[in-house]
Amino acid sequence: MNKKANRQNRILPLFTLHLFAVFMLMASDPIPAPKQKKPLALTGGTIYTVSGPVIPNGTVVFDKGIITAVGTNVTIPADAERIDISGKSVYPGLIDSYSTMGLKEIGSVRGTLDHSEAGDMNSNARAEVAVHPESKLIPVARSGGITITGTTPVGGLIAGTSAAILMDGWTWEEMTLKAPLGLTVNWPTMIYTASPFSRQTKEEWMKDRDARLKALNDAFAAARAYVIAKRAEQSKGIPRHDTDLRWEALIPVLERKIPVWVNANELTQIQAAITWAEKENVRLIIVGGRDAWRITNQLKAKNIPVIVTDVLSSPSRRWEEYDLVYSLPGKLKEAGILFCISGDTDPSNARNLNHHAATAAAFGLSKEDALKAVTLDAARVLGIDSLVGSIEPGKQATVLVVSGDILELSSTVEQVYIQGKTVDMRNMHKRLYDKYTEKYRQLKETE
Amino acid sequence: MNRFRTLLFLSVFFSAGLWGQSEPTTGLRDNTPAVHAFLNARIVVAPGKVIDRGNLVIRDGMIESVGERAPVPPDARTWNMEGMTLYAGFIDAYSTYGLPKPPSPSPGSTQQEESPKGAAHWNPKARSDFDVAMEFRMDGKEAKKLRSQGFALVHVVPRQGIFRGQSALVSLGSNAGGRLVVKRNVAHAVSFYVEGGFFSGYPNSLMGIIAFIRQTWIDAEWYRRPWESFDRTPSQSRPETNNTLAALREAVLGRQPVLMEANDDLGFLRAAKIGKEFSLNVIVRGSGEEYRRIEAVKSTKVPVIIHLNFPEAPAVETPEEALTASLEELRHWDAASENAGRLARAGVPIAITADQLKDPGTFLAQLRKAVARGLTPETALAALTVHPATWLGVIKQTGTLEKGKSANILVTDGDVFKEKTKIREIWIDGKQHEVKPPPASDVRGMWEFTLSVHPGATGILALKGEAEKPAGSITWAGKELKLQSVSYTVGRISFKLPTDSIGWKGVMTMSGTVSDKEIFGYGNRTDGVQFTWDAVRKEAAKAEPDTTRSKKPEMASFPDVFPPGEYGRLKQPDQPQNILVKNATIWTQGKPGRLTNSDMLVTGGKIVRIGQNIQAPAGAVTVDATGKHVTPGMIDAHSHTAAASINEGGQAITCETRIQDVINSDDIWIYRQLAGGTTAANILHGSANPIGGQNAVVKWRWGAHPDELIFEDAPPGVKFALGENVKRSNFILPAGTLARYPTTRMGVEQLIRDRFKAAQDYEREWKQWEKNRSKIPPRRDLELDAIVEMLNGKRLIHAHCYRQDEILMLLRVAEDFGIRIASLQHVLEGYKVADAIARHGAGASSFSDWWAYKIEAWDAIPGNGPLMHQQGVVVSYNSDNSQLATRLNWEAGKAIEFGLTEEEALSFVTLNPAKQLRIDKRVGSLEPGKDADFVIWSGSPLSTLTKCEQTWIDGRKYFDLEEDQAFRKEIREQRAALIQKVLASKDDSTGGRKQGETRRPNEIELHSCIDEVTYE
Repeated sequence: MNKKANRQNRILPLFTLHLFAVFMLMASDPIPAPKQKKPLALTGGTIYTVSGPVIPNGTVVFDKGIITAVGTNVTIPADAERIDISGKSVYPGLIDSYSTMGLKEIGSVRGTLDHSEAGDMNSNARAEVAVHPESKLIPVARSGGITITGTTPVGGLIAGTSAAILMDGWTWEEMTLKAPLGLTVNWPTMIYTASPFSRQTKEEWMKDRDARLKALNDAFAAARAYVIAKRAEQSKGIPRHDTDLRWEALIPVLERKIPVWVNANELTQIQAAITWAEKENVRLIIVGGRDAWRITNQLKAKNIPVIVTDVLSSPSRRWEEYDLVYSLPGKLKEAGILFCISGDTDPSNARNLNHHAATAAAFGLSKEDALKAVTLDAARVLGIDSLVGSIEPGKQATVLVVSGDILELSSTVEQVYIQGKTVDMRNMHKRLYDKYTEKYRQLKETE
Repeated sequence: MNRFRTLLFLSVFFSAGLWGQSEPTTGLRDNTPAVHAFLNARIVVAPGKVIDRGNLVIRDGMIESVGERAPVPPDARTWNMEGMTLYAGFIDAYSTYGLPKPPSPSPGSTQQEESPKGAAHWNPKARSDFDVAMEFRMDGKEAKKLRSQGFALVHVVPRQGIFRGQSALVSLGSNAGGRLVVKRNVAHAVSFYVEGGFFSGYPNSLMGIIAFIRQTWIDAEWYRRPWESFDRTPSQSRPETNNTLAALREAVLGRQPVLMEANDDLGFLRAAKIGKEFSLNVIVRGSGEEYRRIEAVKSTKVPVIIHLNFPEAPAVETPEEALTASLEELRHWDAASENAGRLARAGVPIAITADQLKDPGTFLAQLRKAVARGLTPETALAALTVHPATWLGVIKQTGTLEKGKSANILVTDGDVFKEKTKIREIWIDGKQHEVKPPPASDVRGMWEFTLSVHPGATGILALKGEAEKPAGSITWAGKELKLQSVSYTVGRISFKLPTDSIGWKGVMTMSGTVSDKEIFGYGNRTDGVQFTWDAVRKEAAKAEPDTTRSKKPEMASFPDVFPPGEYGRLKQPDQPQNILVKNATIWTQGKPGRLTNSDMLVTGGKIVRIGQNIQAPAGAVTVDATGKHVTPGMIDAHSHTAAASINEGGQAITCETRIQDVINSDDIWIYRQLAGGTTAANILHGSANPIGGQNAVVKWRWGAHPDELIFEDAPPGVKFALGENVKRSNFILPAGTLARYPTTRMGVEQLIRDRFKAAQDYEREWKQWEKNRSKIPPRRDLELDAIVEMLNGKRLIHAHCYRQDEILMLLRVAEDFGIRIASLQHVLEGYKVADAIARHGAGASSFSDWWAYKIEAWDAIPGNGPLMHQQGVVVSYNSDNSQLATRLNWEAGKAIEFGLTEEEALSFVTLNPAKQLRIDKRVGSLEPGKDADFVIWSGSPLSTLTKCEQTWIDGRKYFDLEEDQAFRKEIREQRAALIQKVLASKDDSTGGRKQGETRRPNEIELHSCIDEVTYE
């Protein structure tokens, strides 16, 4: 009994749980938090600033959603609410940089799936407009410390643009921290591997691959022509050029305002993507990057960041080392590549992001860099590091209070603050957990 | 009709020697004498029995005499075979000659569309009454090609279905159809492979096919008994007539060979095992990989028919492609052509076939490669003559050049296993078939000639080179002129002669008709004047000695390891008599709890003591584990790793299928799971069916053969499944297919109940029959046998389930039949009915935190395991995914957040799964008497920052971080060496894997729950 009560205290510190009435309250949905009304000071915790040294027994103050002070010698405003978090740790909110969060709910139910548009040319698809604020996956993710996702469409050759989505808010507009982040492209497979499941012959496959590569090149060429034609429209005697949404969407990419996120794991895909990006003069981020460690000098020379997805996986080649993917982030770090770690692209288990980072730490990456890979460096790769990613004055107060080391599975994220808002920590899992805890309490009572 | 006419045509014109022919002669009779004497030949009478120079006489298609001085009968036509070698014509032991390609089944044709012909088997994949002797068609083009490779006879094996039918030995001669059949009903062909995928009807998986094969042998054995009973007592219900079962009679009694096809080395072992189980006379058409498990293959004593389709070189032309080549693949490429030689050397009886070659015309070239790579010519010859003739029961008729045998004679101009040797002709049933006849006259040598336009003057024509392709020069007026464009066919030689150097600007052309001694020629001078020329031989033709020295072939570079390829070992790891693990934190997971600074003593693979300051026995292997943690090996209660097939979806009840039949002990995931501390697993059938297949509990003894992975004392079990997958909620059925019963949870309940009842009825039926054994005996049904075992508590039920309603349903059905469910798998809503589960006594094997991949996983919560645990359920965390199984300790770690102690959490992946599988007497905790299956960790096993350093099973070290480093170095070096070898080889192998074929298909796919229908 003691144990159970203990657990509940850890998970739901803000609620007192004794009465059935309270249980009823808990059984309701989590509610988006109101804006921060008065300054808040978290005192006595260990502060992992990420941008600077770890501050033991420190204080973080934030007001109007922005961090105002961090340190051991901090003046706390008189009107501030003080929360003693002694023995606990404060971390920047975790950023899951490559996810279908908000777009995908139940894998087998098509009506709940909005992550994969039909066709190959979806440059105009915008992730943020289909983010479902009611997604039951979101409160679960933030209980695992996820505060921001790089939500992306994934369908077709050009999948669409991604957005930085906050894990709290009433509408998708409120939840959108920044959009567009990047243009997601699924690089065609370059090397044929025979498989009993493949329906194509090698020749058919090659034809298909070549057509896809051509389609990608054609799209960018068409977009350039579109820009020229549109610009010329102002000149005398030039006829009207009607809007093409697909090419409109590529303009920020051509202008290097947003990067292309290219899904590329295998070496030839990464090589081809680099060459292509150079030729097209677009900014490139490699997503996946299983083979990226083989050509770090080339990535470094071109300053290409990598989003390492799903660290908790194994190599695709029989002969490769069992820990190849676990040790990939460590290798990229050693080579001086800017990278971040994202979890499983499927949003249901976004909450395990800390586990992916921790595994990298067990296999060659320092714990500090592992933490950085899911906070500040993730913000840098996503281009939102001026807003979030570390605990320093001026940045948004998107922070976590954790019972212990966030890289350990036994730790609990006790409270999440997003832009200073005290986030409702309830979620469907906790609701069901409590509901059936109540069932067994009732059973015991009537025994 | 056309073919028939061709046959008719042939029979009219070549009707010589049609002994015992039923067909009437329509035109003039052909009575050309059929007595031939081959003189002065080198005669290979039988393998190892050679007459260096002798005669062989044939009469009316039979060998009349053979010997150094075999008398030439006065009525014989004589053939000078000077320089020729005679062999017995080859026999292809496994051919598809003359049979049409089986139609590729249309998707969705799950059932036969038309009613079957005659008394067919219920399953169209059983076609044992198919008779090659009735179905094959002579194929002149193909026959010619096979003859050109030395074949006189082909053993034609049917190729469609699982029970494929009766083979026939067929001659490649040019007789009419019926005369071509040397022997019918030679063997029965059975295959593990059928065309068509998941929707092709039952069985559609390797596992299902093996189960179907097993049941059909049982049925065939049983089939005659109802009839015997019925014949005695006709006043009972008439038994079924079944052509397939009837046609299997000789085979099931061991009187007819059973031919099985294997697609890999494990397939060979599977075929041999089936043969042994039913005491069949099995011959296996091998895969070419038998050498990799040579001892296991040898111990089966099953003969192998070897094909020579050596794999194509792996693509390594670019550095990126080279990355995709596994060491396993490279090593197989390197060693494959040694298969025949190595098997023969090991004493495995072999025959050789041209089957599987893309072009049978490359057979000889491939055979010569095999000979260069260690197959002795004598064995090669035996494998093409005496062995197949013996196995197919025709050794008294053919296979050697002994008196009284059929005149199937191969004529070559030298040793047939040498590269330059040409097959000149082949005689089949005493009839000559030219292959590459030598020119009637050898034009090579020195000739003196005269020209009509230069009377009196002579020149010299000197020709050398190959008999069919001579080259040479003319010497005229003291000048030597080189011949150009020399051609020599149908006894005519022609060439061009540039004559500038003798004062005639331009090119003269000359030709002539050649006999042994003279050439009569004609020519065209550069000025257009035409002339005749005549030449007489000055020097006899001489075959030039073969000066090309045969290069010593490069043999395979590396010794065989187990499993083949990366991370394999020369042998199983040693089992030291004593092992002392010193000074560790030991998580016993038993009564003593977690012990610090403790030692563990292992003797003979078992734990004998755990405590402090244990003295090492003399010679003990000591492991200093200071600062380390030691735990029991982790056990995965839900795995699909190492299963070559997972689901038999052709029927809703498939408990006759057995995972044990399809274990792939080479699965690389075994090694990866060892690297993460997992030592045992429950390999389950997939979740396609309410009652699925039989599971296999294994230990991950990497490098052992499939049967050696089996956990010896584990009780048998079976997979059940409920909910979305079995009712196929997420299927898109191909057009024209009917939905399978059941499609609701109501139907699932009723189907399970019905089968339980059926098993009870079946048991009663047997008991009733046993009383007086007078009436028709019941048919033994493997599916119902398995259910009877379940109902008698002898087979554990592991049930895939999600929703609380179905969980409760299954518990209640089981309770109605007085049995207990051993484990509920996934059981993601188990927390809602944990009290009922605890009361029933079922274990719960769940995911730590997977959810939301389908509706029935929507209410899944990470507190599921802990909540059930708190209600007294024995809970484990499983993987259902080969990758997840490499890190079960971290899965366990996720339970701590819900208030479990660290040891309770670790029990989720050690002791609790052991309990669920009823193997906790041997594993699951570290206690004296238990197996020494343990893991040494760098720190607490529940910390994300901890690595597995060593993994031991039965006191043998199967994983070690340091050894892993050595493996990496070895793999790097061996891959580099073999890639160099490929690059240097310009491999001209004609074979290669078939389009879309890889060796171990299941490794490509990570089995996981997300693929909801296929796995789980």
